[in-house]
Amino acid sequence: MNLLVELGVQGLINGAIYALIATGLAMVFGLLRILHIAHAGLFALGGYLGLVITNASGSFALGLAGAMLLVGVCGMAMYRLCYEPILDKPPYVALIASVGLFIAMEELFRLVFGAYGRSYRRVPLQGALEFAGMRIKYAELGVAVLTVGLLVGLALFTSRTRVGIAWRATVTDSRMAASFGVSIAGVRYLNFFIGSALAAAAGVMVGVLNNLVEPGMGGVPSYKALAIIVLGGLGNLNGTLVAALLLGLVEAYGSIYLSKVLDRDSIAFAALIAVLLVRPQGLFGLRS
Amino acid sequence: MYRSFRRALAASSAACALVYGLGATPTLAQPPIKIGFHAGLTGPAAADGKAAEAAAQLAVDQINRAGGVLARKLELIVYDDQFKPEVVVPLANRMIGDDKVRAVISAGFSAPTRAAAPVFQKAEVPYIAAISFAPEVTRAGDYVFRVTSVGEVQGRAGAKLVGDVLKKKRVVVITIKTDFGKTLVAGFKDAAPKFGIQILKEYEYSPGDRQFGPLVASIKADAPDAIYATGFYFTGGPLVSQLRAAGVAADIVGPESYSSQKFIEIAGAAAEGTLITNVIDWGSQSPEVTQFLADFEKKAGFKAEAVSAQTHAAISVLAAAIRRAASDEPKQIRAALEKTDLMTAIGRLSFNDLHEVRKVFPVSIVRNGAWTKFTTIDDMVLLAPPTK
Amino acid sequence: MSAYEISLLTLVGIHVMLALSLNLITGFCGQISLGHAAFYGVGAYTAALLAKAGFWMWATLPASVVAAGAAGLLVGFCSLRVRDDFLAIATMGAGFLFIGIVRQNDALGGELGISRIPDPGLEAGGFLALVLLFTLLVIAFCVYLKRSWLGFAFDAVAADEAAAQTIGVSVADYKLSAFALGTALAGLAGGLYAYYLRSVGIEAFGFPVSILILAMVVIGGMGSIAGSVVAAVLLTLLPEWFHFISDYKLLVFGGLLFAIMRFAPGGLAGWAADLLAALKSRT
Repeated sequence: MNLLVELGVQGLINGAIYALIATGLAMVFGLLRILHIAHAGLFALGGYLGLVITNASGSFALGLAGAMLLVGVCGMAMYRLCYEPILDKPPYVALIASVGLFIAMEELFRLVFGAYGRSYRRVPLQGALEFAGMRIKYAELGVAVLTVGLLVGLALFTSRTRVGIAWRATVTDSRMAASFGVSIAGVRYLNFFIGSALAAAAGVMVGVLNNLVEPGMGGVPSYKALAIIVLGGLGNLNGTLVAALLLGLVEAYGSIYLSKVLDRDSIAFAALIAVLLVRPQGLFGLRS
Repeated sequence: MYRSFRRALAASSAACALVYGLGATPTLAQPPIKIGFHAGLTGPAAADGKAAEAAAQLAVDQINRAGGVLARKLELIVYDDQFKPEVVVPLANRMIGDDKVRAVISAGFSAPTRAAAPVFQKAEVPYIAAISFAPEVTRAGDYVFRVTSVGEVQGRAGAKLVGDVLKKKRVVVITIKTDFGKTLVAGFKDAAPKFGIQILKEYEYSPGDRQFGPLVASIKADAPDAIYATGFYFTGGPLVSQLRAAGVAADIVGPESYSSQKFIEIAGAAAEGTLITNVIDWGSQSPEVTQFLADFEKKAGFKAEAVSAQTHAAISVLAAAIRRAASDEPKQIRAALEKTDLMTAIGRLSFNDLHEVRKVFPVSIVRNGAWTKFTTIDDMVLLAPPTK
Repeated sequence: MSAYEISLLTLVGIHVMLALSLNLITGFCGQISLGHAAFYGVGAYTAALLAKAGFWMWATLPASVVAAGAAGLLVGFCSLRVRDDFLAIATMGAGFLFIGIVRQNDALGGELGISRIPDPGLEAGGFLALVLLFTLLVIAFCVYLKRSWLGFAFDAVAADEAAAQTIGVSVADYKLSAFALGTALAGLAGGLYAYYLRSVGIEAFGFPVSILILAMVVIGGMGSIAGSVVAAVLLTLLPEWFHFISDYKLLVFGGLLFAIMRFAPGGLAGWAADLLAALKSRT
């Protein structure tokens, strides 16, 4: 019984990381209908920057904040330089361009930071908490707190602030929003900034959990996040969160009880295909 | 007087010719002996490929500095196989036809090596696999040799380490889903009953996994005495760290793929006490081993690990065979390779009838943040490699 | 011709067939498939298993075609319910499922793959001739298809599914046909691959390979037959020719993909068409 609970906790923690990554992807898709695979490259960049800044300055808080800020800016730059010029082209153009970017980013990481990957000099958030017979690492707790904090913050932002409401309006109907004076370009930049910053936060936390930041770390999230946003109903942020947590749980139980049948990555896609057969618009999408 | 002058002239000319001939510089000697080499230099695991290339070049440089082989220098012709098996077939043909190599070393992974072996076999060029585990590689024919032990043999050594040396009987086995992991575990399970090992549970994970939360939670519930965990440094490091953080105190035993310093860097203090069936004998007094370890660290900037040691040994074995054959003819090199009995960076090596290597397993343990010698598994009956 | 050139050219032929097969699905019919390498794999594994069981190449190759086509029909049925972005991800999922299923089953080779596939009995030169023959047949088939009523229907579906439905084009049927034909051709390429390499393993049929095949189609220009051929040839040969950028190979590849999409999204065919138009307007 205890094991089932522990597996559930582990599943939720992994799900939280997926949620951070997938939310950014869902935001980009919701606004621009681009499958932004290079998002996983920003995730990895966040991991590297967090590590480099923390190792250099000794402060993890600085590392985390710095990574989120810098990667947020990179995300905006990526939009401006890479996506904006091809927005009017068919969707596969942006997809392949994004793939090319992602491949190039991975190689740059390998060339700049080394093929073996990097580790923290002094791993932040060491130690664990004993709770109800389970041992939860502080780093894992950190993931939960960070995810809840960031996503709640995002929810409040989009419902309580003018900028946030303008963003929501633009996602729903950009022409209508523009006619009300909302700066579409501004909303897009904000979108990429927030989404990329979330991915960076995920990257930093994964780097801390594993004490390893490697050039290929974006590989698995790149396609898993896609599966999640489809499950969540392409662009629906609440759906994405639920789908991410659900996937984390399914993987946690599946990797122990179903490992002879399917491996962990296939579980995500088996679930995806099963859902799409029954509900082609995803769990929470609107039938178009 | 004229006659004595002519005699003096003749004598001094002869003396000059003799002196000149004895001290002839290599520029007038024969061309270098070309050795082909391929590894994955770009792509997902380029780290290993680059380390192997450095080790191979180091071996060649060391040999050339000591005078070369048969008074000729060795020349390494390096190719990147990109981890793609279909790329390696044209490369193999190029090495054979255009570069006219005398023999080839593969520091590539199993997929490219397995695809290239039949090509070299057909062309009758000796092909030495330094790190590939795929069992079928040596079955391509008698021109193929392997200096690394196959997974089954290493798995058996692991079982002896756990059951006989550490005397732990209740064991959990973790398989990484690659040919490497599968063959290791097959060997472990095969030898486990001999040492009274009871396998409580088996787990599997994919090479892309770094988060082992569910696995760790389940293993904690199993409460084993020892864990046989297969993987690479980038999975083993996080796994060991997460196991210790969860309070799992069992002994952790792994394969040679954890032998890099990176494993210890990732797991930090959690790595202390991890044991592996290694190829590097950190306590060795043999100059072949100590010289390699020192020179490699100086050249590469990081400590040697399994891949580099095995590649270095492959070059050593080939050079020795060329010397024994006293010829650079591939047929003669092949025959000479069969008779290998050589001390290398990975210990004393010889080949059986399937050209699989016979060697012992030095066991290493992490003490004070570095790999150190623990013991040696040298039961040659247990460690007998597969035969024809 | 040296053994090196023969083996390289054989690989080029196989890749050309592969690119054309995806072009049929994605370029002709507008269905974005991110899992095409799986059908390549179905063909390769079918040929491998049957060859090891003793069947001759003249039996295993048709079997590869049929098996891959059948798998394509299956995926096609699932794709009927979704479109565009969902389809891309669903096909990606199909690709991962294929790999996952093969890895778990030792009967299919599992992690170790299948090796020591029997020699088809042709010399390297003979095998190359066979591959080139098939390549030409595939090119001819695609040209014929494009000009036929089936090609017209594909065009309509690619352009606007809803509109096509209203003018009586049975969208579902044509999507299925596109999938089945494209994957069947990929199966042929896969069968030939198995005999070329004499071993198959999952590393050759994963997501990165699907991306590479899609890159060939997109760089060539979606829908353009000549474009797919040229792009497949270039992407196979360039890594061989550019040894000096060896360490930066992948970086250049990624950068190239991005640059072409950013500056010439019509691919080589689009760029060639623009060039021709510019030349014409000058004369």
